[in-house]
Amino acid sequence: MAPYTNIPLSPAELSYLHTSLSQQPPLRPDGRSPTQFRPLIAETDILPSANGSARICFADGTEAIVGVKAEVEKSRLAHTVPSNGEAAGQGVLGLGKGSARDVGDEMDVEGDESGGKGRDAWLEVAIEIPGMRDDDALPVFLSAMLTEALLADGGLKDRLWINSRFHWRLYIDILLHSQALSYPLPLLSLTTHLALLSTRLPALVSEKDEDPLFNDDWEASTYLYPPTTTTQHQKPPVTLLVMSVGATILFDPSKQELAVADSVLAISAAQSSTGELRMVALRTIDPPSRLTAAGVPNVLNTTTGATGAQTLSAADVLAMREKDQGQSVWRPPRGGVPRALVAKMIKMVVERGGVGEEVMEGLANVET
Amino acid sequence: MPLDSSIYTLSALRLDGRRWNELRRINGQISTQQAADGSSYFEMGNTKIICTVNGPQEQKRGGGRDQSNEAKVEVEIGIAGFSGVDRKRRTRNDKRIQEMQYTISSAFQNTLFTHLYPHSTIAITLHVLSQDGSLLAACLNACTLALIDAGIPMSDYIAACTTGSMASYADKEDEADPLLDLNGSEEQELPFLTVGTSGGEDKVNVLIMETRVQMARLEAMISVGLDGCKQIRGILDGIVRAHGKKVLQSKVS
Amino acid sequence: MAITILPPTPAALPSRIPSTAHHDTASSDEDDDSMDIDDLPSGHQAHSAAIITPGQTVTDDAQWMRGHGTFAAPDSTAIRSTLAGTLQKTNKLLSIVPLRARYTPEIGDLVIGRIVEVQSRRWKVDVAAPLLANLMLSSINLPGGALRKRTSVDELNIRAFFGEGELLVAEVQSLFQDGSASLHTRSLKYGKLRNGYFMSVSGMGGGAGVVRAKRQIFTLQTAHGGGEVDVILGVNGYIWVAKHTAEVEGKGEAVGVNRLEEVASASMYSSQNDDIGAETRREIARVAGCIRALMEGGVKVDEETVRRAYEAGLEMDEREGEAEYLGGERGRSIIEMVLGG
Repeated sequence: MAPYTNIPLSPAELSYLHTSLSQQPPLRPDGRSPTQFRPLIAETDILPSANGSARICFADGTEAIVGVKAEVEKSRLAHTVPSNGEAAGQGVLGLGKGSARDVGDEMDVEGDESGGKGRDAWLEVAIEIPGMRDDDALPVFLSAMLTEALLADGGLKDRLWINSRFHWRLYIDILLHSQALSYPLPLLSLTTHLALLSTRLPALVSEKDEDPLFNDDWEASTYLYPPTTTTQHQKPPVTLLVMSVGATILFDPSKQELAVADSVLAISAAQSSTGELRMVALRTIDPPSRLTAAGVPNVLNTTTGATGAQTLSAADVLAMREKDQGQSVWRPPRGGVPRALVAKMIKMVVERGGVGEEVMEGLANVET
Repeated sequence: MPLDSSIYTLSALRLDGRRWNELRRINGQISTQQAADGSSYFEMGNTKIICTVNGPQEQKRGGGRDQSNEAKVEVEIGIAGFSGVDRKRRTRNDKRIQEMQYTISSAFQNTLFTHLYPHSTIAITLHVLSQDGSLLAACLNACTLALIDAGIPMSDYIAACTTGSMASYADKEDEADPLLDLNGSEEQELPFLTVGTSGGEDKVNVLIMETRVQMARLEAMISVGLDGCKQIRGILDGIVRAHGKKVLQSKVS
Repeated sequence: MAITILPPTPAALPSRIPSTAHHDTASSDEDDDSMDIDDLPSGHQAHSAAIITPGQTVTDDAQWMRGHGTFAAPDSTAIRSTLAGTLQKTNKLLSIVPLRARYTPEIGDLVIGRIVEVQSRRWKVDVAAPLLANLMLSSINLPGGALRKRTSVDELNIRAFFGEGELLVAEVQSLFQDGSASLHTRSLKYGKLRNGYFMSVSGMGGGAGVVRAKRQIFTLQTAHGGGEVDVILGVNGYIWVAKHTAEVEGKGEAVGVNRLEEVASASMYSSQNDDIGAETRREIARVAGCIRALMEGGVKVDEETVRRAYEAGLEMDEREGEAEYLGGERGRSIIEMVLGG
């Protein structure tokens, strides 16, 4: 029978969920449609001492709070003129790779810096999950994914540039406030997105390259992502969790749905200069279902008095399982996911009127 | 300088407009998170704390059979990087945090009826969102609310607050007046202590002092603190009652 | 609309300004102490029920006996409360019913549990109680209705009966000294669960959550061709919604069909689901959604409310069309229909 893993579900339950989700149309246990998110509560600007903050609660009780703080830092001068893109890429000697670095930047993406003046190291993401140490796998992986998504489109770090001698160092502290009941990535990403939307930096009063001087009046501060009324929106990227079961694609999976997923992807989408969404990062996440063991079919179950365990050969048993294909007896998923399905998932996120756009619009409408 | 002691008299106001015996604005909510057994959110001025309680639960894979006849109270405090004016990341091995955790867990070990739940663990998690003085006191108050929400029996509330003295130790004044509920800038300058009571006005459960002060001033500070704790207990009680009323009104018999 | 974002519920403003709180509590404390205990209404029924908070003196009278949730201060006869809740008077016994508390097992409770550990002759079961419950090997039915002593072969095969992570429905047989429960499944209606969906309702304790009732297991006749759906409401807040299993399965195996007992328990420990049609699955999801809506609305979950919620859900579907998700707005309307109808 199933060895005890982190998924407390019996083989019978797993098999039931899997079959329900594979139907066309899929029957999610709470009756949602495949692209419907559970209702969530969101608010911003809850921390008066942070540059930006946000809090999101999901319906199942998980909660995340994100605080964004910015500090002025002296820039290390690049070896050559910054306009030379190639050397600027190399010019990160020691910048941010020292001891003050947080674990979140380990998998720093060497982004395309030919256009921008920003540096990857100016952004630091730290995740705190209660009950886990800072170097456990989950916080490290999550912060790496979030950092990568935020840096991938290059827009964020460019906004942190003050002048050639100084820049803003942005610290994003994410607090997952409850036990991770489901994979926390979309919650943290949405909360970070919302916090960045509400982040304000003091208005610059000095000019050019002199020591930066700021306006004391907080009312005069500028948004990191200024809201515009034109069609060109400026928004930080957002990461969504998408899972597939058979040929079905599901958004906002609950923990039970994740337990039977064939594949799970984290898709990060950002807005390009034309206002359209494009995918900036894609990561596969090991579905927890692979860690489960197969259920025992009735034929082999000694308690039912069946003698299959003695009479059938191993090859027969295997053939029987293959024929069943996990319909009635649970079997952990094998193999990968077809490329067409991955393409379809990406398309559903980034297309016009797709899920990514709806999520971003929903978040933008949260009143500060 | 945040506090100019030379012109300070009993009738004068502190930098934030309070008198010497006034508490800051206190705000609390109970049952803020559905996923936990008990939860609360507590504010003392600008010090904001979130507390969640999980338990009593059997320890998962407790190392060896736990033969004690009581539940264990485990406390974990996380101070967020954005909680102070400067962003500072604190590791869990910080001695100061460990001492606070131990203080809180031993204080509640005495007040909670732990013998009703042998071999189990009550896990308390505190998150500090913003700190501006009275950190330990606010943590104790937040824990009390969350434990009440979780339905864990206790003999009484633990209500805590800070008191300080108007003159610093170096001034060598024996007659300096006490202050109630110090904020962050006052705590940096003046000697202060945290006092927590439980089960009556003079039953002190927690008393912590990290700064130095002359012995002669101590009694006045503690008595002002006890009075402050009484006020805080009343406020905590009001929060619990208001929540209870709301819950009962929305229930169906 | 794919995503619904709700504003946070506003925080209740502090009822008193701190500087005057001192005077208010002084007067109200005196009032409480002098209030006669008979004035305090009991139970959650009365909406004007007074809230008792920890440390509050309930009564000074020596005639009352202390029940759950109270303690006697060592130096006086006064009975004080240890919980936040309402008072319950049964004859001469005073107890406090908490607003919210973890499930505490009582003898005779029907509970749903999940195996977390397999030991040599018993299982450790999670029933959402402070301590894990025990299920002894001798407390389960052996398949085939055999009545024999458990042998070492049974012990070696213990995982074949229940492995880790498996769900079962059982009854609390007795309590140990430390309050943990000992379960048994010695009846045809208990045993391993399959063909269905599990959900949990948090925080048992007067009012919201599953209440102890006469019938914890019942069957719903569902619409839209869903057939019959079994609902098992565990007192500990765990709920199982499944396709109805026929009492007798006509299996053509080499098992004596004369003995009903034998046949019924032949598949008792099976992990293989039967074939369940899409309509049944949809109805199971609907019932689960109704229960979730009841829980979110703070309504107690028992047979009657679940039936009414299910019918309300069907009505709503007919009126508003097939939007399936039963949380949030639709959940609230369902609650109103349940309370009103």
